[in-house]
Amino acid sequence: MTPRPAPAITFRDLTLGYDRHPAVHHITGEIARGALLAIVGPNGAGKSTLLKGIVGELKPLSGSLSLDGLTKRDIAYLPQVIEIDRSFPISVFDCVAMGLWRMIGAWRGLDARGREDVVGALHTLGLVELADRPVGALSGGQFQRVLFARLLLQDAAVILLDEPFRAVDTKTIAELIALIERWHGEGRTVLAALHDIDQVRAHFPDTLVLAREMVAWGETPKVLTPANLARSRQLTEAFDAHADICVRDEERERETA
Amino acid sequence: MRNRFIVLLGAVLVLLGVSSGCHAAGKVKAVATFSVLGDMVKQVGGDRVDVTTLVGPNGDAHVFSPTPADAKMLAVADIFFVNGLGFEGWMERLENASGFTGALVVASGGVKPLKMTEDEGGHEEVVTDPHAWQNLANGKIYVANIRDGLIAADPGGKELYEANATKYLAAIDAEDKAVKQAIASLLAARRKIITSHDAFGYFAQAYGLEVIAPEGVSTESEASAQDVAKIIRQIRAEGIPAVFLENVTDRRLLDQIAAETGAKIGGVLYSDALSEPDGPAPTYLGMFRHNAGALTAALSS
Amino acid sequence: MIDAVVQPFLEFAFMRRALVGCLAISLTAPPIGVFLVLRRMSLMGDAMGHAILPGAAIGYLLAGLSVFAMSLGGFAAGLAVALAAGLVARSTVLREDASLAGFYLVSLALGVMLVSVRGSSVDLLHVLFGTVLALDDAALLLIASIATVSLAVLAVIYRPLVLECFDPEFLRSVSPLSSPTHLLFLVLVVLNLVAGFQALGTLMAVGIMLLPAVAARFWTEDVSGMIGVAVATAFSASFAGLLLSYYANVPTGPAVILSCGAFYFLSMLVGVKGGLLWRLMPRKHLEA
Repeated sequence: MTPRPAPAITFRDLTLGYDRHPAVHHITGEIARGALLAIVGPNGAGKSTLLKGIVGELKPLSGSLSLDGLTKRDIAYLPQVIEIDRSFPISVFDCVAMGLWRMIGAWRGLDARGREDVVGALHTLGLVELADRPVGALSGGQFQRVLFARLLLQDAAVILLDEPFRAVDTKTIAELIALIERWHGEGRTVLAALHDIDQVRAHFPDTLVLAREMVAWGETPKVLTPANLARSRQLTEAFDAHADICVRDEERERETA
Repeated sequence: MRNRFIVLLGAVLVLLGVSSGCHAAGKVKAVATFSVLGDMVKQVGGDRVDVTTLVGPNGDAHVFSPTPADAKMLAVADIFFVNGLGFEGWMERLENASGFTGALVVASGGVKPLKMTEDEGGHEEVVTDPHAWQNLANGKIYVANIRDGLIAADPGGKELYEANATKYLAAIDAEDKAVKQAIASLLAARRKIITSHDAFGYFAQAYGLEVIAPEGVSTESEASAQDVAKIIRQIRAEGIPAVFLENVTDRRLLDQIAAETGAKIGGVLYSDALSEPDGPAPTYLGMFRHNAGALTAALSS
Repeated sequence: MIDAVVQPFLEFAFMRRALVGCLAISLTAPPIGVFLVLRRMSLMGDAMGHAILPGAAIGYLLAGLSVFAMSLGGFAAGLAVALAAGLVARSTVLREDASLAGFYLVSLALGVMLVSVRGSSVDLLHVLFGTVLALDDAALLLIASIATVSLAVLAVIYRPLVLECFDPEFLRSVSPLSSPTHLLFLVLVVLNLVAGFQALGTLMAVGIMLLPAVAARFWTEDVSGMIGVAVATAFSASFAGLLLSYYANVPTGPAVILSCGAFYFLSMLVGVKGGLLWRLMPRKHLEA
């Protein structure tokens, strides 16, 4: 039996949240290197929060998160598209070229090889004809392809995708899933927070069902049961404004005291 | 019955006398709008008058903005001396705000005002030039008005005010003669200056000096390139020898003009405000002495 | 006609100096203005004009009517406000407009109080804010040096700055340069504004930074293109404004800004990208 590959990301009793309210509550587990993991759960389940924690945008409220042998530079992150200014005057080509940041940094110019790489990425995502268009003139699906092209160029060991297929047409989704599977084939670790259970069943070998706490984690067919999904929906969605201090933390403190 | 009436009348008269006596027992509280007036009131009023000035030494009365402290001061004053002729744009507002009930003396009353043209963005506006005190002959009218105003507010000091005023008027006369002599001693062709503030119209008319200014009457209007070009051309054409600074405005425009024409920068001329007490122009007459000296120094060579 | 255009500059040194000063400021302020517009920080220029007051007041209290002391104080105050606002916007729930408004208003009030302490009614700001017609050697040197420094710094931080405006989260994820870039940019803004105030007056300094940038949006959809159009606009407007002030006898600062404004309206109407006229006129659509 082949030994399991060394873990890429480890959670130890991890709690992440905002303003002391936990959005991810006491999660423990390992993500193996090269895994293709889907994270599912209802709204407010903490999927985005977990990804933000991995990328380092949120500090754990308690517990720990470690990236074994990986630094921030090895992670490529595609957030739900909120902070991008679509009206900014930048062309598709320039936007995609930003993916080469790790190679060219803030000051080095884009040499011939770099240009080739950019054009290659545009080809893969079917964007060559749109290369000179401003980013604001694209449809939702086209823009998502631009972001994936940028991700492609980042050449990262770990790729985090937060709801990558929201408001995207079916044909584009199919192309993007193909790209994800190609990444998986290249040995990259890919995590995707997703809504569509059928997509998960069809393409993702591992799934984590999250509803603030871990509901189930493991191989997709075993984990994506109606029972688990129902349970995840039951767990409370909203923050409780009058919540007491977490009972489990208090218990542990009493034990160690 | 008649006896009681006489006693009552007597009591009323005594009260009136006592109250007016009480009024004269403390000093007269006078407020003057700016330092030139303040100095004049001090010279005439002497020890009987407590003068406070609103726009102090080196201050710019054109852009002065009165504070609540000023309104408070005015509210308890007996007599308020203003220049008039449109010098104090903020005066009415201050008077209303303070609820001043004392006597208002317009120092320039009876002065024959000069008009001046102001270039406001292309078209010319004719306004009254308020700087009447720059002619010592007008200064004498100011002093007379101040004296009369003080006497009306404080009849008990009549003798003192008249004596001080007479002395002061004589001193003004002497200075007037001195200035006329100083300017006359210059070559006719050199009796021209440029200064940044259009405050010397009366001085120019009284003492035979030609004064050209690059900006309008107040210090607020911004110059146009045409204005500056015209001044430079004029300096070059007429060989005007000196450029004078005035103690309230930005000197950079003058520096620029002087540099381009080779005219001499002749120092500071005091116009709207006196200097500090230890400065070169601490009094009204001191101002004239200083200005005349600076003018002759720059224009005689 | 050519003669009429050239003659005032041949005859008068002050016109030549004004033109040189305008050229320098036209090179340095509009590029910064382009980024201000893209980051929706357009009103910052006006806020800065007020924010520098306590610094200038302190300079005045310590050193009298020294333009150098007051400018230095003004720069320090402006920088403090800009950096504080920037840091607060990045680390709290407040966004940039709210945090800037908070700080500049406090600064202005502080300045007004400090000015009233001395009791002198000399209007500090009259001395602090210059006019383009009175550019002495010191002022020209100041603008020229600031122009050189700004252009150099902009060239260096260009790419991170563009990314900072467009997709700050991505920049944060690939580089630690996000905060330093933003703060360095704020330093440039304050530097250019204070120098501009000192040399040219508030209206011209802020106007030349923003109006050309706003107009440029209607001609190109590319940041470097916008910068080019903005610089060209600024310089042409300066030239036109100076001539207008000379021939029509109107104050120079407003003349330059109105020339910029005229170009802005023109751009809004007939600008190739999004001009109103093109939107009203039906044109045949393209193949793809």
